[in-house]
Amino acid sequence: MSPRLPARLSARVAVLALAATVVVFAATELLPGDAGDTRDAGRATEEEIAARRVELGLDRPAPVRYLLWLGGLLTGDPGRSLITGRPVAEILGERLPATTALVAVSLLLATLLTALALLLAHLRGGRGGSIAAGLAAVPQPAWAAVLGGLLAGLLGWVPPVSLLPPGGSAWSSPQALVLPALTLALPSAAYATGLLQGVLVDTLRRPHVVDAERRGLSPLAVLWRHVVPFLWVPALRVGALLAGGITAGTALVETIFGYPGIGGLLVSAVAVRDIPVVQAAALPPILVLLAGVLVADLVAARSGAGAGDGTGAADEGFRPRTPDPIGGVR
Amino acid sequence: MTGPAPAGIRYVSTRADTGAGLPPGPRPRRRRGTLPRRLLAPLAAVTLLTLVGLGPLLAPHPPDRTVGPPWASPDGSTPLGTDALGRDVLSRVLAGGTGLLSLALVAALAAVLLGTAAGLWSGWAGGGAARRVAWVGDLLLAVPAPVLALVLATALSGASAVVTASVMAGAPLTARVVADEVAVLRRGGWVRAAVERGERAPAVLLREILPALRGLATADAGLRLVTALQLAAALSVLGLGPQPPAPDWALMLREGLPGTALNPAALLAPALALALCAWVLGAASRSAGRTGGAR
Repeated sequence: MSPRLPARLSARVAVLALAATVVVFAATELLPGDAGDTRDAGRATEEEIAARRVELGLDRPAPVRYLLWLGGLLTGDPGRSLITGRPVAEILGERLPATTALVAVSLLLATLLTALALLLAHLRGGRGGSIAAGLAAVPQPAWAAVLGGLLAGLLGWVPPVSLLPPGGSAWSSPQALVLPALTLALPSAAYATGLLQGVLVDTLRRPHVVDAERRGLSPLAVLWRHVVPFLWVPALRVGALLAGGITAGTALVETIFGYPGIGGLLVSAVAVRDIPVVQAAALPPILVLLAGVLVADLVAARSGAGAGDGTGAADEGFRPRTPDPIGGVR
Repeated sequence: MTGPAPAGIRYVSTRADTGAGLPPGPRPRRRRGTLPRRLLAPLAAVTLLTLVGLGPLLAPHPPDRTVGPPWASPDGSTPLGTDALGRDVLSRVLAGGTGLLSLALVAALAAVLLGTAAGLWSGWAGGGAARRVAWVGDLLLAVPAPVLALVLATALSGASAVVTASVMAGAPLTARVVADEVAVLRRGGWVRAAVERGERAPAVLLREILPALRGLATADAGLRLVTALQLAAALSVLGLGPQPPAPDWALMLREGLPGTALNPAALLAPALALALCAWVLGAASRSAGRTGGAR
């Protein structure tokens, strides 16, 4: 590994993050009207609207507004809500813990389920991939409906609406997390299993794995000592995808189950066209995805360093194809 | 919000196992995947799409008319019971997929066409042009499709947001697979022969390379379709798509949730219809990928 590689990988992710902010900003700029008349729709005179536009800085050209917004973002001040006038940072800050808890629990659950599913598929001779892919295709609203209807409606095990007590955190009322976390984790696990199943099958065909099997090692020993080391990098790449996807999925799940997080905030801000809140609340999934990509890239670069030590096992040509969230298959 | 990442970034590598340089002629028949089994998923997909398209005509009641008490259990005239407003669930399920699926079809088609065009061009041109196309694709992929669709929905209607997000997040993936495959195919003897004959690049791409991409493009279109369906369902369930009283599977999910204990069919029927469509389309896509030559 060249010593400059980590810096290069970080720079790539930074450029991607910057580009993502441009995409988000540009997407909210498509509106033919602008935020000047959002707050007092129809009630204000032409002059008042013009004054409001100057007050909000909307009379300046879009590139200038983008740079101002980006500068505010970097200094922790992404503007104020057009509806309530409260600072966006404050609104996001009070909802961040709930979403963090939900994403963390869902990601953990999805990881465990994926590991379990891959183990089962391996022990059953590499089958079950199409079931995982089929489950992954099922849209998340259908998962939410079936899980909600089953666990809350028919069985009554968990509350149908995942409200948190005022001032209470998600950890103090874990039953509120059950439905949102399951809805996020189950399709994610199916998706990850589908992606990693192929990598697993490829790895199992490698000469050293076949040799180990011939030597009479038990399937679990082969798996742990000779297969799992090859799966770290692909698993991290898929993990980055999952983390980004789960964070993006909070928008749907939090809205359906009434869980008070940033995803639900994004949806309600979109509905009332509260642009500053939309712009800021859209960023967490992007940042989580890119942070995951960076971690996976750095680990891949480190393990690539093993290629020079003569073992040859980590040599590029020997590595299984691994899905890369941004760059396709490496 | 839609699927696990949903909206997944799925990618099928082709270079390793297409047999670089082979013409796309008849391939050795594989032992598994004999004809009936191979056609199972595509046939199911076609049947299902036809059923969804004809569904509104088959509905026994108008989907927005009250025909009984709210949340009635299934009986003779309403085989799946009624919903919160006493409307027939079966009629609403039959009528509720047309809008979702036609939106998903349009969105997927737009993504595949644009992606294929970009992939053909960058795979053929190679070098700097290919790197630039790949770089633009990377930039677009950094924003997860559901987030993109939501942000776009501030300015656009739900349907336009689904189409735009599906193109921005899907076309780069299509372009990448297609470009990889074109880069391999252009070294094939029959392509070089066409170039030597003096055919111009567009003609070679259309007549010699595009037919060889058939399987790959079909498989890819299936993936784009599933992703677009997930996006459309998500926006619709969030209230950014069709508005009540429109029959729409995703809207029905939200409307059916409060009455689960009274008439579970009002929730489960649209959920299963949506799930079945996505499953079958995904399976058909994988089947096209396996049999179409491009893994």
